[in-house]
Amino acid sequence: MSEYIIEMNGIRKVFPGVIANDNITLQLKKGEIHALLGENGAGKSTLMGVLFGIYQAEAGEILKDGVPVRIHDPKDANKKGIGMVHQHFKLVEVFSVLDNIMLGAEETKRGVLQKKKAREKALKLSEKYKLQVDLDAVIEDISVGMQQRVEILKMLYRDNDILIFDEPTAVLTPQEIEELMLTMRNFAREGKSILFITHKLNEIKAVADRCTVLRKGKCVGTVDVKDSTVDSLAEMMVGRKVIFKVDKKPADPKDAILRVSNLSLTTEASGKHQLHNVSFNVRRGEIVSIAGIEGNGQSELVYTLTGLMKPTHGTITFGEQDITKCSIRERNDLGIAHIPEDRHRYGLVLDYNLAENMILKSYHTPQFKKYGFLRFPAIQEHAEKLIRFFDIRAGEGPDTPARSMSGGNQQKAIIAREVSLSPDLLIAVQPTRGLDVGAIEYIQKQLIAARDEGRAVLLVSLELEEVMNISDRILVMYEGKIVAEVDAEHAVRQELGLYMAGATPSDFVREVM
Amino acid sequence: MKRRRTFNTALMTTILSAVGAIIIGLVIGYLFLLITNPERAWWGVIRILTIGLSNPTKIAKVLYQAMPLICTGLSVAFAFRTGLFNIGATGQYTIGAFFALFTGIQLQLPWYLAIIAAMIGGAVWGAIPGICKALFNVNEVITTIMFNWIAVFAVNMAFTNLPMLVVDYWGKSSIRDRSPVLADANANAVLPKLGLDELLSSNLVNIGIFVAIIVAVIIWVLLQKTAFGYEIKACGYNRDASRYAGINAKRNIIYSMMIAGALAGLGGSLYYLSGTGQYTFVKVLLPAGFNGIPVALLANSHPIGVIVSALFISYIQVGGDALQPRFVRENIDIIIGVIIYVSAFALLLKIWFGKLFMRRSLSAYSLRDDDTSPPEHDQPDDANEKDGEKR
Amino acid sequence: MIIGDILSATLIFAVPLMLVALGGMFSERSGVVNIALEGIMIMGALAACLFLRYVDDAGFDEKYRQLYVLAAIVIAGVVGILYSQLLAFASIKLKSNQVISGTALNMLAPALSVVVTWNIQGTAQTTILIPSWVRISPEALGITADNVLTTFLFKSLFLTTPIAFLILILSIFFLYRTKTGLRLRACGEHPQAADSVGVNVYKMRYLGVGISGFLAGIGGIAYTMAAGSGFLSTVAGYGFLALAVMIFGNWKPVNILFASFFFAFFRIISFYSKSLTFLPKFENLVSSEYIYLIMPYLVTMIILVLTSKRSRAPKAEGIPYDKGRR
Repeated sequence: MSEYIIEMNGIRKVFPGVIANDNITLQLKKGEIHALLGENGAGKSTLMGVLFGIYQAEAGEILKDGVPVRIHDPKDANKKGIGMVHQHFKLVEVFSVLDNIMLGAEETKRGVLQKKKAREKALKLSEKYKLQVDLDAVIEDISVGMQQRVEILKMLYRDNDILIFDEPTAVLTPQEIEELMLTMRNFAREGKSILFITHKLNEIKAVADRCTVLRKGKCVGTVDVKDSTVDSLAEMMVGRKVIFKVDKKPADPKDAILRVSNLSLTTEASGKHQLHNVSFNVRRGEIVSIAGIEGNGQSELVYTLTGLMKPTHGTITFGEQDITKCSIRERNDLGIAHIPEDRHRYGLVLDYNLAENMILKSYHTPQFKKYGFLRFPAIQEHAEKLIRFFDIRAGEGPDTPARSMSGGNQQKAIIAREVSLSPDLLIAVQPTRGLDVGAIEYIQKQLIAARDEGRAVLLVSLELEEVMNISDRILVMYEGKIVAEVDAEHAVRQELGLYMAGATPSDFVREVM
Repeated sequence: MKRRRTFNTALMTTILSAVGAIIIGLVIGYLFLLITNPERAWWGVIRILTIGLSNPTKIAKVLYQAMPLICTGLSVAFAFRTGLFNIGATGQYTIGAFFALFTGIQLQLPWYLAIIAAMIGGAVWGAIPGICKALFNVNEVITTIMFNWIAVFAVNMAFTNLPMLVVDYWGKSSIRDRSPVLADANANAVLPKLGLDELLSSNLVNIGIFVAIIVAVIIWVLLQKTAFGYEIKACGYNRDASRYAGINAKRNIIYSMMIAGALAGLGGSLYYLSGTGQYTFVKVLLPAGFNGIPVALLANSHPIGVIVSALFISYIQVGGDALQPRFVRENIDIIIGVIIYVSAFALLLKIWFGKLFMRRSLSAYSLRDDDTSPPEHDQPDDANEKDGEKR
Repeated sequence: MIIGDILSATLIFAVPLMLVALGGMFSERSGVVNIALEGIMIMGALAACLFLRYVDDAGFDEKYRQLYVLAAIVIAGVVGILYSQLLAFASIKLKSNQVISGTALNMLAPALSVVVTWNIQGTAQTTILIPSWVRISPEALGITADNVLTTFLFKSLFLTTPIAFLILILSIFFLYRTKTGLRLRACGEHPQAADSVGVNVYKMRYLGVGISGFLAGIGGIAYTMAAGSGFLSTVAGYGFLALAVMIFGNWKPVNILFASFFFAFFRIISFYSKSLTFLPKFENLVSSEYIYLIMPYLVTMIILVLTSKRSRAPKAEGIPYDKGRR
């Protein structure tokens, strides 16, 4: 009997143009929590994809209990006891919780579903592990936290004993994260083995026994967590010393450029409040952050500010002008720039080349348009200027198809375009998501530079680190409301976490007292 | 220099995939000819491929039939560029035909006004599905299908209720199932021939083919050179991003369907204002509109390509007519059907041909320094996954 | 008696609409937009009509004639499956644009049908006559009463009618009560989720399209028998109408049942517009039947606009599924 329940030896996986995994070795002991650490793009997900049967490795072998196995697809992985909670949940939104749990592992009698049996089994598991779910609720109606519990139940329902968690904490409040870690420790105590993919160092320190670090597709090494520090792990991950604190001068805020008062948004279909009486200001020369768990109205807030959605109530004032009823174009032209959260969906037209993308918001201005015709020389020149100034790497210069550019450079291009509009207000939504440390630092510096030039910056981010590092004021959103405003300099992580979970400052004071 | 090369590569792959689709279509057409009549099958293929150029009269016929095809092809192609599938070209074409004949015969106005009337009629007919799509998000495929049938029935009803638009009114015939011979009803409404008829010894040709070609060039300029074209294409490629950029996507959808409708309407007017065909009141959809789909697909929705592919489709249709009576002319429709079928996965063919003939520059890939996933996952797959970021 | 006639005609035209719309539902619920229903109907009807023609020419045992009809129905379904796999192959395997592939098959089917008919029946013989014995006469069932109900149910009864209702019940059971039904629905909503728990998305989509082919093929012969005059390589746009029925029915079997009756009723009204005294006659118009022909389409349009907010298509329909590299 091998010491390891899973061994991945010399795994190599190549995608056209990139070596995603190069000779990677990972050994998972029975009953341990093993962290897999690496930056975005380091190859963590690919490696787990290989283990879960989503990809086939070109070289290397997988051993289970010391015996070589081949894992052809996720079904195969399930049969071998491997389960996975994907970063983006794999749940059918219009199905009930129970249907989702049993999908793919149905109890049947001659092809006919035996829902009663499935219900009993699911109930038993949910009680045993204190994973509270409503089996009859439809997925789209339940919270993200409960959706994650459904995902965990899915693994348990299949009697998996090797559990992969892919970035499970990104969507949770600090308190929910604690709970999840408790659950994970419970599993480990029961003899289940856990692989925990993350790029957050403190979580590793909190819960993991050992940690394997990947960098640029290669394995840097495996360490015992208790023998290592956050700094040493960070250095292994990035390959150099990392400075966690961003350099910035104190803010020098001027007059308020954006004033939002009593903004509400109700969806027609469900009558649910997406936004509820939101009021706040953003001043020139400061960075205001909106913190909160995903799905608490941040996206809707940004959409109503930029004009992509119409609010049900309330007013938005920009400078001296009421822009509540203005079109997207009018807002853009007034000086609101927007770095969208989903760069492929909103930020870029991937089938246009870089030059065409750079004029996406300004093609209609005299600079690029004359008598209805586009001025191609000016467009080309504009793109070349931005490429140089913002250091965008694009193989064919302005003619590079946006689709062929890397994520980091796509994001740089969007930022270049938005900043080049010289906006009075820059709205940035999760501008660093999915990027490596170098790109993150660059983008954060750009935001601070914009602030120092006297622009107002509204940052929406799910990463508490980022919010606390670069903003001047922090607003916390919960269920469509702004529940707290905190001065960034005095912000405490735990306190923010409570607000994110719906506590209000008055609660907080009472609790402390 | 670099710019030219990328341009040529794209053009080459498009042409090669179109040629590939055509070859596959012809091979399958040949198989059907073989089944019907093995001895004459090869004769049939040769006839399909040569008859169109065999004499001036046939050339005239090819041009004559290509004229409406260019227009309906442009109609489908233009909607495609906005991300819309206009199956309604045939209905808009029918409406165009009616408006042209109404203006020419009932109102006794000259041909150029008849053309304008037809384009307006087609535009209105295209605008309705456009409005349904833009304001109510009703799938344009379904609405345009519905509006095809409504067009046929409404036009038939209108014709039969306007005595001047029925052939018996003009006295030379007592039948009541079609529109009059245009030259009898209003010679001014017939498209001028500019001596083309003598050149090709056929009364089928007239300035209509030039009108169609000029319109194709205008559409090309509109799409490639103007700010409006930039908006339209942005909508087609990525509707969310175009909205984000402040482009009024709803308005552009309606405009685009209006232009598509006007183009198809133009096709209907050119065909019936040639004076050589009479509109018959039958309850079927006119194929000239449907054939705009293969024309647009073969051309990869490129306006100039539409001219070429319309000429080609017209060419093999003339060839198909010449198969009778040995073979039924529907053999040509089989070929066209197969061509569309193959064009539907032309992207795959394109990649295939791209690999076969072009050496792809590796630069596109070596740039992805922080993206370790396969390139196809890099496409915007929001619809599959709520989040396009995770790969 | 005209009410009974109208109801009876509504029934026989609702049957093909329902069958084909159910077919479309299975395909779309698995994630494939099937606009090729019209073409599949034509191919199914062609095969069944040729078979019936052959049986009629070859001579047959009177006693078993409904068995021959049953055989024809099965043949229509099987040919429908085969033809639908052209759509499945293009859209699942080759990841084509599903609407374009469907359009291609719609253009191909009538052409194929004419060429085949021509080859089998000889030059210029483009109509395949259907033998009159396919109808089940009320006398054969021992029904002599003559009232609205018997007219409704038995005046023009074909074997396809009871089969259609059987299929409806089976469809509901299959879709909501079986393992495969659950998996099929998952593939149309969130194929990645289905894949991640080991469901073979491609297989489910082939199945969904296959079922749609089977039902549309049967729908083709059901329509042709209802239309009565013989097969002319067309089903007169019923495949498209079925798409509207499916959307109006919100991709749900029971709603589709009602939607198909609603549509068929409007259709039939146009046939009877002249003899129904209570309908406006539009005396000033030469050919007022066109008004009633336009009606169902116009009503569909209005309904689609009015229900657009409520309508909920399977989320992943129309999007080719790519597992990623294997």
